[in-house]
Amino acid sequence: MLVELRDIDKTFGKVRANAAISLRIPPASIQGVLGENGAGKSTLMKILSGFYTPDSGEILLDGKAVQIHSPADAIRHGIGMLHQDPLDFPPMKILDDFILGRQGGLFPNHRAASREFRELAGQFGFALDPEAYVDSLTVGERQQLEILRLLWLGARVLIFDEPTTGISLPQKVKLFDTLKKLAAEGMTILFVSHKLEDVESLCTSAAVLRQGELVGAAEPPFDTRLLVEMMFGKELPLAPKKTAVPGGKILSVKSVSIEGVRLQIRGVDLDVRSGEVIGLAGMEGSGQSLFLGACAGLTQPVGGSFCLDEDERDMTGRSHLEFKKRGVAYLPAARLEQGLVPGLTLTEHFVLSEGLGGLFVDRKKAEALAKERISTFNIKGTPESVVEALSGGNQQRALLALMRPRLTLILVEHPTRGLDIESTIYIWSKLKERCEQGTAIVFISSDLDEILQYSDRVLVFFAGQVSPPLRAESLSVERLGALIGGKDWENLPKEAVNA
Amino acid sequence: MRKTMVLVLLLTLTAAVGVFAQSAPPAAGSNLTIGLVMVGPYNDHGWSEANYDGLQYVLAKVPGTKLVYIDKANSSDRPGTTVSQLGESLVAQGAKMVIFSSDDMTDEAIKFAKAHPDIFVILTSGDQQWKEGKNYQPLPNMINIMGKVEYMKMVAGFAAAMTTKTGKIGFLGPLINDETRRLASSAYLGARYAWVHYRHRSVDSLKFKVTWIGFWFNIPGVTSDPTQVADDFFNSGYDVVISGIDTTEAVAEAAKFSAQGKKVWAIPYDYKNAIEEGKGVSLGVPYFNWGPAYVNAAKAAMDGTWVNHFEWNGPYWKNINDPDKSAVGFNKGTLTREVSEDVDRFVGQMARGLDLWEGPLYLQDGTEYLKSGQKATDQQIWYLPQLLKGMEGQSVSK
Amino acid sequence: MRDTPSRRVLFQVGAVVLALLVTTVVLIAAKAPPLAAFANIVQGAFGSWDVTSNVLVAWVPLLLVTSGLLLTFTVGLWNIGIEGQIILGGIFATWALRVYGSSGMSPTVVLILAFVAGMVGGSLWAMLAGALKTFGGVNEIFGGLGLNFVATALNIWLIFGPWKRPGVASMSGTLPFDQRLWMPTVTPQSMLSVPTVIIAVAAIAIVYLMIQGTYFGLRLKAVGKNAKAAYILGIPTWQHMMASFALCGLFAGVAGAVQVTAVYHRLIPSISSGYGYLGLMVAMLINYKAAFAAPVALFFAALNVGSIQLPIVLRLDSSLAGVLQGTLVLFVLLGHGVRQRVLKKPQVVS
Ligand SMILES: Nc1ncnc2c1ncn2[C@@H]1O[C@H](COP(=O)(O)OP(=O)(O)OP(=O)(O)O)[C@@H](O)[C@H]1O
Ligand SMILES: [Mg+2]
Repeated sequence: MLVELRDIDKTFGKVRANAAISLRIPPASIQGVLGENGAGKSTLMKILSGFYTPDSGEILLDGKAVQIHSPADAIRHGIGMLHQDPLDFPPMKILDDFILGRQGGLFPNHRAASREFRELAGQFGFALDPEAYVDSLTVGERQQLEILRLLWLGARVLIFDEPTTGISLPQKVKLFDTLKKLAAEGMTILFVSHKLEDVESLCTSAAVLRQGELVGAAEPPFDTRLLVEMMFGKELPLAPKKTAVPGGKILSVKSVSIEGVRLQIRGVDLDVRSGEVIGLAGMEGSGQSLFLGACAGLTQPVGGSFCLDEDERDMTGRSHLEFKKRGVAYLPAARLEQGLVPGLTLTEHFVLSEGLGGLFVDRKKAEALAKERISTFNIKGTPESVVEALSGGNQQRALLALMRPRLTLILVEHPTRGLDIESTIYIWSKLKERCEQGTAIVFISSDLDEILQYSDRVLVFFAGQVSPPLRAESLSVERLGALIGGKDWENLPKEAVNA
Repeated sequence: MRKTMVLVLLLTLTAAVGVFAQSAPPAAGSNLTIGLVMVGPYNDHGWSEANYDGLQYVLAKVPGTKLVYIDKANSSDRPGTTVSQLGESLVAQGAKMVIFSSDDMTDEAIKFAKAHPDIFVILTSGDQQWKEGKNYQPLPNMINIMGKVEYMKMVAGFAAAMTTKTGKIGFLGPLINDETRRLASSAYLGARYAWVHYRHRSVDSLKFKVTWIGFWFNIPGVTSDPTQVADDFFNSGYDVVISGIDTTEAVAEAAKFSAQGKKVWAIPYDYKNAIEEGKGVSLGVPYFNWGPAYVNAAKAAMDGTWVNHFEWNGPYWKNINDPDKSAVGFNKGTLTREVSEDVDRFVGQMARGLDLWEGPLYLQDGTEYLKSGQKATDQQIWYLPQLLKGMEGQSVSK
Repeated sequence: MRDTPSRRVLFQVGAVVLALLVTTVVLIAAKAPPLAAFANIVQGAFGSWDVTSNVLVAWVPLLLVTSGLLLTFTVGLWNIGIEGQIILGGIFATWALRVYGSSGMSPTVVLILAFVAGMVGGSLWAMLAGALKTFGGVNEIFGGLGLNFVATALNIWLIFGPWKRPGVASMSGTLPFDQRLWMPTVTPQSMLSVPTVIIAVAAIAIVYLMIQGTYFGLRLKAVGKNAKAAYILGIPTWQHMMASFALCGLFAGVAGAVQVTAVYHRLIPSISSGYGYLGLMVAMLINYKAAFAAPVALFFAALNVGSIQLPIVLRLDSSLAGVLQGTLVLFVLLGHGVRQRVLKKPQVVS
């Protein structure tokens, strides 16, 4: 289907999120959409998929002007969108979620739907059990579910708003194959991403937004440097890798076993030292989130112990709040579900996270605090912005900005999920600053480059199996990719000894 | 001297003001709006409807009267309201005389009467204005009205005893207080008289059992279930149940048992037409006819002859069902011809002076209540301390 | 269309108009003159100082209850058990009056004790609902409903059992307290007690400040909007839920004590007068904004009191007020929904 956007305008309050954007996307193509955080990408996509109505401008499908008033409208026109923060119906079974939204029929045919679901999932190699519950899924798996659902609903235009942030390399490869296949079948695909290499390897053309305006377009072969310049107005050098000089013990994990809903982790040992960065690699749902949550006291282990600090204070069985008191911060991946409180402003978030005492909130102090954090973390928003009005990347910055000044241990899932390249570099520089002050960091990422770039040691997770800590220098992207896919584990113990 | 004079003058003045404040409200003149506060629905086929009918009678008989009423005046049906507040809303609609027609409204009616000395207040079934009573609390604007339904309960007991095949009569009582004790006992006296003098049986062979449910009507979880109590009576050989409560479960159950071929009967209470609900099983109903008393009160309010007092009005013996003269009556239901004639004969006897409240009478615990030949005073009857000897059932609530 | 304050008011007004329309249709269906009915309600609520003071009498407990409910709503809880909490407040206050009423203490001290007892009673009962939720996993709506039944049964048992009038149990409640122990009223015949009005106004002011300005209120808000995130932000969630239950129960308990000491001067079977459920409606109607609680509660109280005229004058059931209140809440909620669909929220600048 040929999709044309003409002079799309959208303003939120004083923010002009989209300014006279025109874009023409022919069928059987994959249109990349690039831009820094808050550039207006999601807004444009939401306009096309009926979540927002534009202030002005028109949308043409196959040359015919259409009015799209709601997501249901959009899907009727064959437009489906996969959101940056997947919207779903948490307490339901996957299959029910899948069936939901399909028109007609009082009683959904579960058997047929289940068969079709399995077939479709098989095509992509997604291992989703239709009988499992949606709330047991990781962010990446929810995205998979959404993809399947939209395809099943008959979408001919598919919009992906940063789909690759949550899923791992092999899954990404599979996804890209499918997208290419779909495009070859005549589908129109819009692909929003911060990852240039993704856009380069996938898209048939790329558009760049900046501050609500369409500032450039490119065709393959892409010139990475040019794209970066269009996005940020400058070149971005990557900071040289620094290796930490590990200090005293911060966290000792002693033969810890954890039981999750679908997998078990057995006998993990790990010592985290001050100033160190540990990366947890693995495909979505391989156990790394479970492990990180347990380190924060959010999940209780069934065996083993967690000790904090040099004096090895035993924290096993303690609540998260007690971990928090001892300087442990936990930043979850599901930003709007677990990390932030929709409806509260940035100021209110900072006030809460600082845990300031006293009866009444000191408004002046609170606002000063908010202003300082907003500028330190370069959040596009005001102290009064409610968090759900922030762009995805800015929500992530807000989440990071909630960390208290002095911390011993930062546990973070996907620290740069949804951040543009500039912000990614900036955020890591902030995190590294913390390390220099002695804080240790344990983080999860599905981006293997990020793991290798920033961690000192790496733990690989595969279906609940956990590798011993591996030195990052000893690994390559290919090697790591094989490991998270479950290959090549035979040679591990030897290396671990070296580590 | 001067000082004393002033003092005396002052004292007289205060006294005069006091007397003035203490006097009944001024005459209402040729028009009177009457407010009626009823505890149940105005069409409950029971106590409240009897009162409502009484006022319809007033409207028909006294020119210049108007009625405003509020029913279901209880805090379950009208949450958040108080009875005195409801009285006030009647006053807001022009009422100069307000009738609080239930014993349950006593506190609120007194509160109201004190707060509104310019309004004529009737507290039906109360005894506060009875000089000789135990709860005398003079309020110049209040009168108490009650009917001597005891006599009609006697007729009810009489009809029951004449009809019973098993010699076992059940009395479905509400809560235990002076009023209900004397009513149950009256029924017993009537039944005993029939049993001994008409059916010529020995006193001891009559079984008369009172079961109290705990309130005037069923409150699930609080009172005993009157339906259940009536069933128990019928199932254990009591073939006539006299109802002392405000609702008609006894009649309904009798109709049910009778439909199954059992020979059982019931006697409702309060409202003249209550027998219509139990055609074939209702022996009759002892009822109140409030009309005449309310007419008198309305006239007194209009022409300025209102004096606070207590009245306990008896039947008009020449015709106990005379709507203009009799304060209480007995409306006969399904009675055999013989029993019906005996009932008339019994009423005639009472009209000619037969008084069953005459000694020797003993209380349930055996103490003497009335010596041989001694007639009970109104106070003795009103404040009957126990059930009578020969009755089965609780005398005092625990 | 954009969502602006003036449009929001428009929606609110629209909801009121619609509710009036529906009620009018109901009235016409009942063959009653709608205008006369509304006029009578107004007359019955504000026609004289007597009736207006009755409106205030109903306003006090309603406002107290609404104040409490704002706290539980803020933390995301549906405290349906509020009725039971009022009842327990009434029971505890009665208990205090019975125990200390004849102890020779000054009536003021006894009354203060009664209010404190009422607070304790309401609070305990609310915490029971909270404990059921936190430790028993019983949804607060079901737990609350159950506890309401228990509270009613307990109340009636007391009135018909241990606390019954000498010799006679009565549906009209326990024996009235000694007049010394009645809350002082404006005039002897009025039930309006100025101290209770002050308490109610103080209650809503406290709740307003609490939610708007305190850390505690902010934490409640966070828990209410996203308990998971709040926990990770370092807020002990169940403790805050408990605290809001306890506080709400405290306000409900005060309402119960007011009913006992100022309105009925005794414990009656329906001592809560349905103010708990009415308070829930008020809270929903004002979209949980404390600033509007006082006027809307006044409006509801006026409807309740004014509608007493309906059976008297028009032979209509006074439950019409309930119909009006119910449809009003329905339409306002509906209005919220529609507004969110039709109008876009204006957002803060980024
Ligand atoms: N619902 C909203 N209300 C108010 N402002 C909004 C809303 N949605 C987006 N904005 C603002 O519009 C601008 C563009 O936001 P948008 O979400 O389109 O950015 P984006 O390009 O998707 O960024 P990111 O890469 O961080 O996801 C931002 O400044 C954002 O704060
Ligand atoms: Mg976005």
